[in-house]
Amino acid sequence: MTAQSAAASTNANLPTRPSLAGWGNAAILIAVWLALVVATGLYRPDFFAHQTLLAIAFTMSVVGVLAVAQGLIAISGGFIDLSQPAGLILCSLVAVRLSEAGMPLALVVVGAILAGMAWGAVNASIVALAKLNPVIVTLATNFIGLAALYLVFQLAQVPNGSEIYVLGRASLLGLPAIWWPMVIIILIVGFLMRATRYGRRTTAVGGNRAAAKARGISLKRTRYATFMAAGGLVGFAAVLFASAAGPFNPSSASTLQLNVIAAVILAGISLSGGRGHFWMLLIAVGFLSTIPTSLVFFGLSSDTQAIFQGAILMVAVAVDGYRARRSTP
Amino acid sequence: MSDLATGPAAPTTATNRPLRDLLTGSVVSISLTFLVVILIGLFWVGPKFLSSGNVSIMGTFLVIPLIVGAFSGFALLAGVVDLSIGSVVGLSAAVFAWLISHGWGLPEAAVVTLAMSLVIGALNALAIVRFGADPIAATLGMLTALRGITWVLAGNQRMIPAFDINWFTLVNTQVLGLPLFFLIAIGLTLVATLIVTKTRLGRHVQAVGGDDRAAARAGISVAGVRTFALMMSALGAGIGGIISVGQLGSAAGATGFGLEFQVYAALMIGGYSILRGGVGNPIGGALGLLAVAGVSNILDLRAISPYYVNIIVGLLLLAAVLLDRIRGGDAYE
Repeated sequence: MTAQSAAASTNANLPTRPSLAGWGNAAILIAVWLALVVATGLYRPDFFAHQTLLAIAFTMSVVGVLAVAQGLIAISGGFIDLSQPAGLILCSLVAVRLSEAGMPLALVVVGAILAGMAWGAVNASIVALAKLNPVIVTLATNFIGLAALYLVFQLAQVPNGSEIYVLGRASLLGLPAIWWPMVIIILIVGFLMRATRYGRRTTAVGGNRAAAKARGISLKRTRYATFMAAGGLVGFAAVLFASAAGPFNPSSASTLQLNVIAAVILAGISLSGGRGHFWMLLIAVGFLSTIPTSLVFFGLSSDTQAIFQGAILMVAVAVDGYRARRSTP
Repeated sequence: MSDLATGPAAPTTATNRPLRDLLTGSVVSISLTFLVVILIGLFWVGPKFLSSGNVSIMGTFLVIPLIVGAFSGFALLAGVVDLSIGSVVGLSAAVFAWLISHGWGLPEAAVVTLAMSLVIGALNALAIVRFGADPIAATLGMLTALRGITWVLAGNQRMIPAFDINWFTLVNTQVLGLPLFFLIAIGLTLVATLIVTKTRLGRHVQAVGGDDRAAARAGISVAGVRTFALMMSALGAGIGGIISVGQLGSAAGATGFGLEFQVYAALMIGGYSILRGGVGNPIGGALGLLAVAGVSNILDLRAISPYYVNIIVGLLLLAAVLLDRIRGGDAYE
């Protein structure tokens, strides 16, 4: 596919380009976000209310953590993990079952994260051992996973009054408690990807596999590492999801998928791998999470939300593709 | 086609023996899979499985997937997967239903609906071919946006009633114990196969999907071929939407929802690839759809939870992709 051949040739200018492009992107994205906020506020002054802030922050929490996981897969050259919905629901179910058994919150979190890492390891094993493309593998495991989950349960919910239930309704410094871990995760992963050798290696594999392999980086180990790390993040996102979502069924996470992919692309984390800023996810997720709330204030039905999300995603990938094409010699 | 990317069994564009390629390629394995499904059906369900009543039920169910698959196969072959087909089916059904419920005649409504589908295909092409957007992500955006428009059109009732007795009767006509439109869908599949294997256009589509740089050097308009393929894909989905209104007498907000994954999973089982152009052909794709429909029919008749269908389809998909790789397709890393 063209994306892959383009990715192979873009890595020569890897070290210098992202920082410049990254800040330009950030400025544009913040400007668009502000324009949206100001426009909504002018139309409906009651938009500037604490309630709005809470709604936006709630939406951001789960999508933000999932976007970090998706970003790890994308930047390392794994393109897209289409199995996130199945992974998220699997881990949410684990979290629900553990809290039903009366486990303390810490154990619930650990259990969900371990389940996510196991899910990631299954994907990584098929990708690395059978040498199959991650997009098709995760498409298939999502099919299988969701169907298997439907055989196990139809509707689940964290028990009323349990620690995880309280977490989903608690607030901290005026924002939902589940918002803060998301911010911390984006900041930490963003720092690790830039400042550590592992982070730079992962990015290098995404930029140019052949060159990375020639420099002695194991592609197989990178696949396991990224899929399991992303799986662990999905597990953590599942705790946030289960705590706040109310009753959910195996299809409940499918609508999140698109927002997550859009956030990754808007943040400038190229789907063809090898470049991107994780900190940008905070802005991208914030912008995307503001849209549904703004639409409500403009009096548009929630059906129109999909039209905007889809159009934004298309424009973002077109810009991403155009930029990648121009940077290819 | 590039010489490093393809093994001996992959259909090469320069070949003069498309028939031999058909026999050594993916069509043989999907034919065997299809036969195994029929045998399991005969042993497990009994002769009822191949009774004309049961085949007719499967045929009715398969009309839209077969037509959508035959057309969107061009986009897969050209190396630009179009995920928006399910939403195009939904939107064209909604638009067609809206038009005839507002007093339009069938031909006029159909022409407008198909023209709209072609415009959608052209928009996909604009993003993917002109701007170089990634096909999966761009058409995922189109999928979402069109579904949103469909929901808005369908309104609070979530459906648009549009019962036209002539169209309903025609779509549900039976010929020789089989649905007329099922036979038409098979006919379209054969025409698509002839186009892919016998014509210059088909060879160009395969060449562009196999290696776009080599195709460009050979003087083929890569942008032109991919635009054509994406417009064909949307057109097929538009036809599917119009037929679904005839089958059901209405269009729903959820018409065609998730169809893209069902169709592409079956097409990949039948030898296409959503990531690599130039492989697969319409006959293999149609057999893939028939095999999956057979599996789901067997589970249905045995009163087994339909969720097992998705598990089986997922496993078949992985097996088919693995087989393709072993046969000489691209290995990932």
